[in-house]
Amino acid sequence: MRAISRKSARARAKLTCALVCLVAACACGDDRKPATPSPLEPELVLTYQSVCASCHARAGTGAPLAGNDADWSQRRAQGGDALLEHTVNGYRGMPPLGGCGRCSAADLRALVAYMAGIAEAAR
Amino acid sequence: MTGLTRRELLRAALAAGASAAGLSACGRGDQHTSVSGDWAPGEPLPWRNWSGIERCVPARRIAPASEAELVALLCSGDFALRPAGAGHSFSGLVPSDAALVFLDSLSGVISADPASLSAEVWTGTRLWLLGPALAAFGQALPNLSDIDYQTLGGALATSTHGSGAQLGSLSSRVTALWLATPGGELLECDAERHAEVFHAARTSLGALGVITRVRLANRAAFRLVERSRFVELDALLADLPHERDANRHFEFYAFPHSDVALAIATNETDLGPAPTVDDDPEAILLLRSLFRWTRALPGVGMRLYDAFLRNQPSSERAGESYAVLAHPRTVRFNEMEYTVPAEAGPECLRAILAEIRARDLPICFPIECRFVCKDDVWLSMFHERAGFSISIHQFQDEDWRPYFAAIEPIFWKFEGRPHWGKLHSLDAARLSALYSCWSDFRRVRRSLDPRGRLVNAHLAQILGA
Repeated sequence: MRAISRKSARARAKLTCALVCLVAACACGDDRKPATPSPLEPELVLTYQSVCASCHARAGTGAPLAGNDADWSQRRAQGGDALLEHTVNGYRGMPPLGGCGRCSAADLRALVAYMAGIAEAAR
Repeated sequence: MTGLTRRELLRAALAAGASAAGLSACGRGDQHTSVSGDWAPGEPLPWRNWSGIERCVPARRIAPASEAELVALLCSGDFALRPAGAGHSFSGLVPSDAALVFLDSLSGVISADPASLSAEVWTGTRLWLLGPALAAFGQALPNLSDIDYQTLGGALATSTHGSGAQLGSLSSRVTALWLATPGGELLECDAERHAEVFHAARTSLGALGVITRVRLANRAAFRLVERSRFVELDALLADLPHERDANRHFEFYAFPHSDVALAIATNETDLGPAPTVDDDPEAILLLRSLFRWTRALPGVGMRLYDAFLRNQPSSERAGESYAVLAHPRTVRFNEMEYTVPAEAGPECLRAILAEIRARDLPICFPIECRFVCKDDVWLSMFHERAGFSISIHQFQDEDWRPYFAAIEPIFWKFEGRPHWGKLHSLDAARLSALYSCWSDFRRVRRSLDPRGRLVNAHLAQILGA
């Protein structure tokens, strides 16, 4: 069992790297200037790729694309608290908690900051 | 609703309709409506489901990093808990004020066997990631649900399904499973080892413990082409047996207050990359606006609406199976689904459409109709009975209760079985009459969870636990 877990962890790490690269590529694909993302803690990378990326890295869903400054500039202006409130309560097409039932408020704030390009000091 | 051209046509029709009716194109019907939130920063964080109607404030959120950690947690105390999946269910399977268990860390393909085309998969895997993950091993699930936001564990617990007369639910593809019991054991179950637990746990409602991983019977990766066209509903229903048998997947949407249906046939293709029309998940909002405006025109409105649908172009999508079968759903809704015996499906649908017209219910959300093969899973909606699943939806920002209450008794007349993850009002007494293995399931549940650690209010109602 332990061997399977280690193997699985390695596979997940590879998948995570691939998906993060893919997201970066998607977000830059249409010449819209990416914001500088707030760094994401390693344990939240998996949450990002398994939950948030289903919409925020898939063009055409109506969700603002992660790291895409054109999508986020007006949203950022609302402030971190407002974006967090929208995330928890659900907003338009986004489900409550952004679909991450396990996330704490701090996790959600960090994920929003990462996608929106909000600097750590301004969260 | 698929197709950019279709969306452009809808926009044009809306502009014309607004002009004719003297309305602004920014009228209320066009606007997304947000959930009226009740949480503010600093308050305890609630849990809520995808559509927002189910909620709770759990005392604990547990996200074990490993299977062993989960088993140890179950041994560590006698606290109540519920497995939470991705929270996509509309029914009250998840809410608990005690502990919610999330398997997000148990995600991905553990191993794959190329000879048997099977794979062992963690149940915390989101379905939208499962397709690409299996494809890396040259495998694919034979079928998939229309929505892929769920976790594999949540989809299995509710017998989630796609469409296809020869294709069963996702639960029917499970050949082995590992169950962390409320007593803190890890049981490996299949048709021979702990066979009764296996039969019960393939569709478990999350009532038997926490299923950590499963072995799935897959097939070689494949490509599909989906062709959608608007047709006369009467003609479609007359030809339904042929459509059902001639296509690998066949489903259709009936439009309330219209005589038109959207027929969707999906079949394997060996063509390479083909021109693909992207999904347009927000086209349904344009349909709602069109419906509202035409409905407001006395005398001719519904005829205009019907004529507009009738003249929609066909569309086509192609790609890897998992990409074609699932669709992004960014317009949230609430849903009721019952599965009636396959042969009774068309009559049941006609009764529903007639009821909507008779009551003049202001419903435009298309009604989804799908075929599913029978299986031997104890609490599957398709247990020993080929099914015709009929799904009715209401926009998340509108009250679903009057509509669903008007239609649900029609499902009962046709011996319908409700989807476990969707809205219904049946209790244990009525559900027990629909399933021949009901008492077996209850017995297995009692043996695994005698103290009811996994029983929340909803399960108490539907299981009589």
